[in-house]
Amino acid sequence: MRIDVKWLSLACSNAMRNRRRSLVTLAIAATGTAAALLGGGFALYTYESLAQASARDTGHLVLAAPGQFDGNDNMPLEHGLAGRVQLTRALLAHPRVTRVLPRLQFSGLVSNGDKSEIFLGTGVDARQEFLVKGPFMKLEEGALLDDGADGATPGPGPGVVIGKGLARILNVHPGSALTLMSTTTAGSLNAIDVTVTGIVSSGIADIDKRLAMVDLSTAQELLVSDKVSFLSVYLDDLEHSDAVGAEWRKRYAGQLEVRTWLEQALFYQSVKGLYNRIFGFLGVIVLVIVLFAITNTLSMAVLERTREIGTLRAMGTTPAEVTRLFSLEGLVLGGGGALLGMALAAGVAMALLVLGIQMPPPPGRTGGYPLVVAVSPAMYASAALAVTLLAALASFLVSRKAAHQSVVEALAHV
Amino acid sequence: MNAAEPLLSLRGASKSYTLGGNTIHALQSVDLALVRGEIAAVTGPSGSGKSTLLNLCGLLDKADSGDLLFEGQPLPASDETRRTHLRRLAIGFVFQGFNLVPVMTAHDNIDYPLYLLGIGLAERRQRVREALARVGLSGLGGHKPDQLSGGQRQRVAIARAIVKRPRLVIADEPTANLDARTAAQIVGLMRELAHREGTAFLVATHDERMLPHCDRSLMLDDGVLKGACHAH
Repeated sequence: MRIDVKWLSLACSNAMRNRRRSLVTLAIAATGTAAALLGGGFALYTYESLAQASARDTGHLVLAAPGQFDGNDNMPLEHGLAGRVQLTRALLAHPRVTRVLPRLQFSGLVSNGDKSEIFLGTGVDARQEFLVKGPFMKLEEGALLDDGADGATPGPGPGVVIGKGLARILNVHPGSALTLMSTTTAGSLNAIDVTVTGIVSSGIADIDKRLAMVDLSTAQELLVSDKVSFLSVYLDDLEHSDAVGAEWRKRYAGQLEVRTWLEQALFYQSVKGLYNRIFGFLGVIVLVIVLFAITNTLSMAVLERTREIGTLRAMGTTPAEVTRLFSLEGLVLGGGGALLGMALAAGVAMALLVLGIQMPPPPGRTGGYPLVVAVSPAMYASAALAVTLLAALASFLVSRKAAHQSVVEALAHV
Repeated sequence: MNAAEPLLSLRGASKSYTLGGNTIHALQSVDLALVRGEIAAVTGPSGSGKSTLLNLCGLLDKADSGDLLFEGQPLPASDETRRTHLRRLAIGFVFQGFNLVPVMTAHDNIDYPLYLLGIGLAERRQRVREALARVGLSGLGGHKPDQLSGGQRQRVAIARAIVKRPRLVIADEPTANLDARTAAQIVGLMRELAHREGTAFLVATHDERMLPHCDRSLMLDDGVLKGACHAH
């Protein structure tokens, strides 16, 4: 069955026969496509941002001693990782690895002398930790741990960076003295005096109320251990996480547990699951609207042109060729609408970048975020293809019956 | 095909319709043989069954009973694919209401049957030009039907019917909208095609100017073929 310029040209002429109706159909298809692309683009941008935030937080890969990820330690660092220096050196030898950061997670009480509060602490490599956090950890006041000359702090004892919620509760500022109390790996209580160097915000209010970060050596001194909780490995690209993770699982089988950022990113997974359902449902609604619009237009066209269909059939046009002609009309309307919709969506996405509109903070967050809609060529191509094919399918279905009706009846249609 | 063998034969063809609960016998046991190069006129009052006969002979409709043979081959009513193929290949139609496709120019309307046959573009252009010239419409190929007069549309419809050099042309009042001079031109063209290319014409007409140029005239009355007189 041929589809050439003649058929296409005839389909285009037919599609524009009733201009107003066709333009309305084009507008509906365009709006529907644009709505689906903008919704999808917003979801895509959200996924990318959350993926980046998760990967920056945990590292692209997390390596720990067996049992660490189960979270049922009886004592701090019961499943801690020893020999981090040698392991770090080995991991850095991999061509895809850019950084290996040790992290020691601990908890306890922090006191300003008058008031005590629970904290969730992390011992970090002060010189590198804040480099990888990037925009996902904002310095509100003071300085980061590595900003002091050779680790010097503005007061006695090692430095600590705390969340702004915790700073507010304890009423402290950079230079204030605090005492961190925690349980050692042997189960006894230990304390260490620290000085606040900086106050930070992670953007999540609940975390900011508990956050405390100290240099790894300080945390190890407090817990009386040379172990770390895990090593966070940063790669040159997020995309390589699975491949390198699989490679290391084989290499360190039985010695280490390897998890990718995605396995650690529960928030990312739940948001993605929710958004996929919401935007997927909206996408289906949009496609149904486009389907109805195209079906309505083509149904009217088929009815109006029944006599013409009879003439074409009388001249030897097969029913398949008649349905193909109408399907091409649907293709023209759907394809035209999809192209317009893509242009509209891309225009809106560009305008949002220029305007810099801010969204209000989501529940549990302290800051808003820029309203950005991602422009993904794959998503645009898929949406355009879906709308176009759906339009062609709708046209095929509405014209099939007319194409197969009796030629005499079609010719007698008034 | 044997030259003496009829191009199309109807044997005992009957066709009835139900309209408002009444059965109308549009055709009753009609026998008809149409040979190559023949121009046969079908006359009769309105409702006599002329259109039904034309529809059966043009393979647009199916008889309730009786046989239809095209070039000696029986054509079962169920074989819609072959009927469509024969219409595409061998039968041209001139409809009473012209039935031109409004979005196509006169040229494209005439070109369409050739396109369906898969003929190359250069040959199609040549044949469309010739057909337009034959019906006296050279220079109007670029006009759409709504830019043409009734007579001009009629001639485009005739050009469309003959351009593929069909073996049979079914025409419903082909000269009805034409002035005397153009009607004579069209009838002359039909005679030429019948004589030179052996095209058979089955024409429903009330036009007295046309009858003398037909080989025979078939009179239909209440679906019964009353008789045939040889007019030419």
